[in-house]
Amino acid sequence: MGTWRSVALRLRALFRRGATERELDDEIRLHLDLETERLRAQGVPSADARRRALLAFGGVEQVKEAHRDGRGVRWIEDAIADARFALRTLRHNPVLSGAAIITLALGIGANTAIFSAVNAVILRPLPFPHPERLVMLSEDNPEKGWHRETAAPANYLDWKERVRAFEDVAAYTPGGGATLAIRGTPRRARVRSVTGNYFAVLGVRPELGRPLEAGETWKGGTDVAVISHELWQDAFGADTAILGSTVPLDGTPTQIVGVMSRSFSFAADSVDVWRATGWDPQVRAQVFFRRAHYMRVVARLKPGATPEAADAEFQTVVRQLQVEYPATNKVMGADLVPLHEFLIGDVRRPLLILQAAVGLLLLIACGNVANLLLAQALGREREAALRLALGAGRARLARQAITESLTLSSLGGLTGLVLGWWGTRALAALQPGGMLPVASVRMDLRVLGAIFVLTTATGLLFGLAPLLWSTRRVPAEVLKEGDRAGTGQRLRRWADTLVVGEVALALVLTVGAGLLVRSFWRLEHVEPGLDARGVLAVGIDLPAGYDSAATQRAFFDGLRERVRALPGVADAAVAIVPPFGGVGYTSDFHVAGRPANDYGTEVGHDYVSMEYFRTLHVPLLAGRFFTVADRTGSVPVTIINAVLARKYFPGQDPVGRRITFDKFPDSTSVWRTIVGVVGDVRQTGLEIEPQIEAYEPLGQQVNSYMTLLVRAQGSIAALVPGVRSVVAQLDPSLALAQVQSLERLQARSIAGRRFIMTLLVAFAGTGVLLALVGVYGVMAQLSRRRTREMGIRRALGARASQLQWLVVRHGLQVVVTGLGLGLAGALLATRAIRVLLYEVPPRDPATFLTVPAALACTALIASWLPAVRASRAEPMEVLRAE
Amino acid sequence: MPPTPSDVLRGTLDLLILKTLALEPMHGWGISQRIEQVSRGVLDVNQGSLYPALQRLELKGWIDSEWRTSAHNRRAKYYRLTAQGRRALGAETDNWRRYVAVVEDILGTA
Repeated sequence: MGTWRSVALRLRALFRRGATERELDDEIRLHLDLETERLRAQGVPSADARRRALLAFGGVEQVKEAHRDGRGVRWIEDAIADARFALRTLRHNPVLSGAAIITLALGIGANTAIFSAVNAVILRPLPFPHPERLVMLSEDNPEKGWHRETAAPANYLDWKERVRAFEDVAAYTPGGGATLAIRGTPRRARVRSVTGNYFAVLGVRPELGRPLEAGETWKGGTDVAVISHELWQDAFGADTAILGSTVPLDGTPTQIVGVMSRSFSFAADSVDVWRATGWDPQVRAQVFFRRAHYMRVVARLKPGATPEAADAEFQTVVRQLQVEYPATNKVMGADLVPLHEFLIGDVRRPLLILQAAVGLLLLIACGNVANLLLAQALGREREAALRLALGAGRARLARQAITESLTLSSLGGLTGLVLGWWGTRALAALQPGGMLPVASVRMDLRVLGAIFVLTTATGLLFGLAPLLWSTRRVPAEVLKEGDRAGTGQRLRRWADTLVVGEVALALVLTVGAGLLVRSFWRLEHVEPGLDARGVLAVGIDLPAGYDSAATQRAFFDGLRERVRALPGVADAAVAIVPPFGGVGYTSDFHVAGRPANDYGTEVGHDYVSMEYFRTLHVPLLAGRFFTVADRTGSVPVTIINAVLARKYFPGQDPVGRRITFDKFPDSTSVWRTIVGVVGDVRQTGLEIEPQIEAYEPLGQQVNSYMTLLVRAQGSIAALVPGVRSVVAQLDPSLALAQVQSLERLQARSIAGRRFIMTLLVAFAGTGVLLALVGVYGVMAQLSRRRTREMGIRRALGARASQLQWLVVRHGLQVVVTGLGLGLAGALLATRAIRVLLYEVPPRDPATFLTVPAALACTALIASWLPAVRASRAEPMEVLRAE
Repeated sequence: MPPTPSDVLRGTLDLLILKTLALEPMHGWGISQRIEQVSRGVLDVNQGSLYPALQRLELKGWIDSEWRTSAHNRRAKYYRLTAQGRRALGAETDNWRRYVAVVEDILGTA
């Protein structure tokens, strides 16, 4: 009660300052009036009575002052007064203030944007109930070099049933699509096959209808699916009547049972349809169910179970399976990792590196602003000295200085907030698809809080230098000096230190950015093994109706033939997976005549039509390409790539040798004769070395999903309508799965690197710019202060170049010291970015030589410019100005 | 730490104000007159120092104030004791008595 009243009184004193003052005046006036009257009543003469009343009261002003102090809000009032004063000072110097605010805004804005991403990806928990209980289960196979790979469905089922620490376990296919026929119009949809308990394990419910149910993992009556909010709106006009209705999904009637809400997103994976797996219970016993690995597995731990304990139990089960199913699981390990860690694993390091980079950028910005304030403090030094001499407390002056820098940093912070808001949106929009595994990157309270802390910290940080410097000054000395020579000396040391720091930090940033640029350059100049320019890639997924190899093959034969006849088409071919898209699948293999234990693993497979290599300009190194003669019934053939030839047939001619894609060949094995060796293609992405790979002819192997590759004579965009109409003529129920230029696919495989590199280069560029401004500023100060000296020297006959050297020499000292420190820092720091480098060592000599050299040159120019100006000053004018 | 004379004075002034207000609500000048009368001029305090003291007590929540029209038709700020202030007065009075007794003792034995 008492405290509330006290708080109310204080608030009133603060916000109704005028009223509080007036009341005090009234109260004192009444007191004096009554006292005067009392004295008069005692017979004291009027004039004297007033005087004696005042005397008895004591000093009126002192009482008022004591009363003001007593309100307990004095410090706030002072702070407001200081802030007002600071704003006035900033307004008097718009250029300087503007420069400082922009500098800070850049630093804080960059930090805001990056921190928003860090917050969204690393700090914010996953948007599911009890996300800490969700873990990812994957397969590891040391023999094949697998780590955290998709799992075989049969293994998933055993894990789910045997590990008791798991409350429930769901599985889903990480990619995939299907053609949805909506009122007869085919439409391509991103489809994930998920086990019936998928939504239950994540703990989410659809906004309409029902989720899939656990039993729907297995084949029941009809196939069922849940669709996304977006598909519901776009394709079904947000019609609630679609619930329970049946649509053909790749020709299979599928009932829509629910609509997920817009906000649901699992790992930023864009999905239109979640289709229940609907496995036939009979497949469980079949070997392919344990041999094909294509499910991602997510488990929910029982309450109270730790990931460590669950992992221990999980590993026991994994070992049981190794014993029970030696044919498939002999070396099959497995891995349990918290879901969040699994999702952010790849971006964590790059994000933290970017965060560190913007941190350095902000430090550089602080250095610059500190220097600006230092210069300003010098200009006001005599004022400060005078105030000190007149008895102002040093603490009061210090507080004033701090308020000033905090005001400045607040303005910078506010501007930075706007920049950061914009930057966050840009970051979210420009990130290559799926790089940040979250549904959205935006500013939230935590980001705002971080900006506030950052802003205050920077204000204190850059306010510190001028403060330390100014409070150490002895007023008498300052006033005596009159001339600014002595102070200049001291000031310069502070300013130099700051610039040395800025140059050092800028160098660290730039070396880091330089290494990434070199890596990226290397990647861009990597030999992809084919010519992607002018090639269109179109995915085509044949529905259930095409149930035999013959019908599938007939379709793709007709397709190629018709597309090749289109105007503007140079060549056309099909393959399961286009280059840079990975391989169709991998398997073990065995070369005829080798001992049983001399098998190979992880050979990539692709089925290609005979024009494939010709269309993509993949060179033939030995033997021949596929021909029309390679078809069902003729000798099974294969073409291998150069890596496979080198690795398994060193010094031999592989052409004519026979190979089978089984680990231990038996009577059912198909032996394929190698008929050719082709150049290596970076099938998985530009940065991944070509792996061993084998191609099989479309005439002998076919798949329902194939990619059409069309080489254009001119523009590829012009081909799309033609290709579309050819497909529609062949089968009007088909939708094109993906229409992309191969060049885009090639660029996309390194888009994440490009993005991070671009950001880091932008930050480093800004950092360098700020550091150069810092160098320029300090040298300009120095030159200005030495203008008089230069004038005299010129009058005495010194050449302009000699005078310029005076300044430039100093600049050189500062810059070289900064570069030295920066190099040392960079040598340590670049080890942290090793993971982002491609075939460039973290201590790449070229980068470590060119970047400092370039920085030194530009810094020298920055110190030379003001020197030129100073040395050109007319001696007479300078001397007269004194 | 022994209280300095000004502390003694300040504590005394607060106590006197509380005691005065225990009788009836009063305005500043009235309080000063009452204190002067009862202390018979022994406590020579600036009348002005009353006001910071009143403010202090009000912030502590021991007294409360409101603007009222006085008997002579003047607007004045009247102070009155709060329940908390009344308890404080009791406690402070005891403290004061103990303090005086101890000082008496010391002076008596010396």
